[in-house]
Amino acid sequence: MMKKIIAVAVILAIFATFAAGCGSKKVPVIGISQYGEHASLDNCREGFLQGLKEAGLEEGKDFVIDYQNAGFDDSIATQIAQTFSANNVALMVGIATPAAIACFAAAEDKDIPVVFSAITDPVMAKLDKGNITGTSDKLPVDAQLDLIRKIQPEAKTIGIIYTTSEPNSVSAIAEYEEKAPLYGFTIESIGVTQQSEVTLAVDTLISRGVDCLSNLTDNNVVGVLPSVLEKTNAAGIPVYGSEVEQVKIGCVASAGIDYIALGIQTGKMAAKILKGEATAENMPYETITEFNYYINSAALAEMGLEVPAEIAEKAIESGQ
Amino acid sequence: MGSFFDLVVGTVTQGLIYALLSLGVYITYRILDFPDLTVDGSFPLGAAVAAVLLTRGVSPYLTLIVAMAVGALAGLVTGVIHVKLGVRDLLAGIITMTGLFSINLQIAGSNLAVDRATDTIFTAAPTMALFGAMPLIYRKLVVSLILAVVFKLILDAYFSTQSGLLLRAVGDNSTLVTTLAKDKGSVKILGLVISNTLVALSGAVVCHEQRAFNSTMGTGQVVFGLATVIIGTTLFKNLGFVKGTTAVIIGSILYKACIQVAISLGLPANLLKLITAVLFLIILVLGNRRKSGVNANA
Repeated sequence: MMKKIIAVAVILAIFATFAAGCGSKKVPVIGISQYGEHASLDNCREGFLQGLKEAGLEEGKDFVIDYQNAGFDDSIATQIAQTFSANNVALMVGIATPAAIACFAAAEDKDIPVVFSAITDPVMAKLDKGNITGTSDKLPVDAQLDLIRKIQPEAKTIGIIYTTSEPNSVSAIAEYEEKAPLYGFTIESIGVTQQSEVTLAVDTLISRGVDCLSNLTDNNVVGVLPSVLEKTNAAGIPVYGSEVEQVKIGCVASAGIDYIALGIQTGKMAAKILKGEATAENMPYETITEFNYYINSAALAEMGLEVPAEIAEKAIESGQ
Repeated sequence: MGSFFDLVVGTVTQGLIYALLSLGVYITYRILDFPDLTVDGSFPLGAAVAAVLLTRGVSPYLTLIVAMAVGALAGLVTGVIHVKLGVRDLLAGIITMTGLFSINLQIAGSNLAVDRATDTIFTAAPTMALFGAMPLIYRKLVVSLILAVVFKLILDAYFSTQSGLLLRAVGDNSTLVTTLAKDKGSVKILGLVISNTLVALSGAVVCHEQRAFNSTMGTGQVVFGLATVIIGTTLFKNLGFVKGTTAVIIGSILYKACIQVAISLGLPANLLKLITAVLFLIILVLGNRRKSGVNANA
């Protein structure tokens, strides 16, 4: 009998702990679900908080944040979103597609607005209709190709590694391949299925004699960027990043989205919803098209490359 | 307390949906003694099939049946690779799982989302006719509960048939099966087929619930399945009246509950997995204490 009681007690104890998360909440809670730890996504979240502040909202007084990170696990993203929904947060924020999809699913049948950020294709993710809005982070492919052409006037082929299962990467590759001829490039792309294949793909691209590599916002590639750079540096091939964090690590340059700015814009949209000035339902999502030039002078010098003055004066030095 | 109750409902729902996967793993790991890694591929396979069919306007209930059939096929492939081609059990699963990654993407095209206007098993007319009065989260609970209980009962019934007894014998004492002049290879294949049918069903239901297929959603599902089977069977080892299948379903709910506790505690987001791990350990240690009878000071 004792055993049964203990078994029941353990189960009850676990469920009882749930109550810990359901305290009093006079101040509206913003539930932020971030898909995983990733420099761009972190910047996005920081920008979001900054955007709320710029819109005149004060943390602790006008809102409190419940920040959760799913560690790139879809089923955890689901449970995080469910928690927000059960706690009736004022607003759910999904950073990166799977997190936003989970939030939107948990908000079905409920009146909780969802705001997303860092999603390349909200239409494909079916996040364009309903009580949802946010910001989309389309890569500035034209600007990147133009930048590469100006830094390497003689270059012919650009190598790109991408994960075949990441829709963002697949659509970016298609755009690269469509636009590369306009700048006199051909694209040499290799699709991988997991992170461990990335460095093998680098070796293959180097052996095919590409003139440079260009990155997408591909999580697998960005995740092992230091070892990619080790190989390309040894081979004397410059790598162009897709955003500032990659340039900081050692890419030569990038025409990239400023994820802090993306987050700020998202934060301002969320502020409008919280203040009741607009609803997520009738606010269309916004696509960020602005980009900045980021350069890493040390990495450029190592490759013997120079940035034309017209770009250098606009560029932000991001090297160490 | 409304929100607390909703949280419990949501957590139990997740546990029940994933319990279908756990039941599948229970058959291979616990009964057949076959560590089947196909699961990481057959789970998203079920979701991919369901997502594609849903977006094409196929009846939501039919999508589950097709997903199960395709999952069965995945199990068959692993079984044939292992039994007929003589590839080791772990490797046979790895081969199928690896191949399925591409096949899943081929089926779905890419990660695929299902429009909110599309009916799922939780919102389609027959479900609404029965449970339409309930809010969506309770409907999700009821439908998942029905699925988990129905498949648990079918499995229980199957285990007492001749074929089911043979299945259990292959794991416990495979020589016996040979003495009975039965081919243990085909029994193993059958077990893998049943197992992956359930796993794919679980994936399909997750797709209905989340309205999305993600090619990486299978990652770690074998580990989840093994953990729930071990938690369930360890906890209820000494409670003879609890069937293995029931124990596994409860194991799955407890697993999801551990994650829910970790989320609800509101500790730094990055500690989530660590807290979950500690909670598992506590459950297992408690289970073992009871097993060895040291409960005087428990």
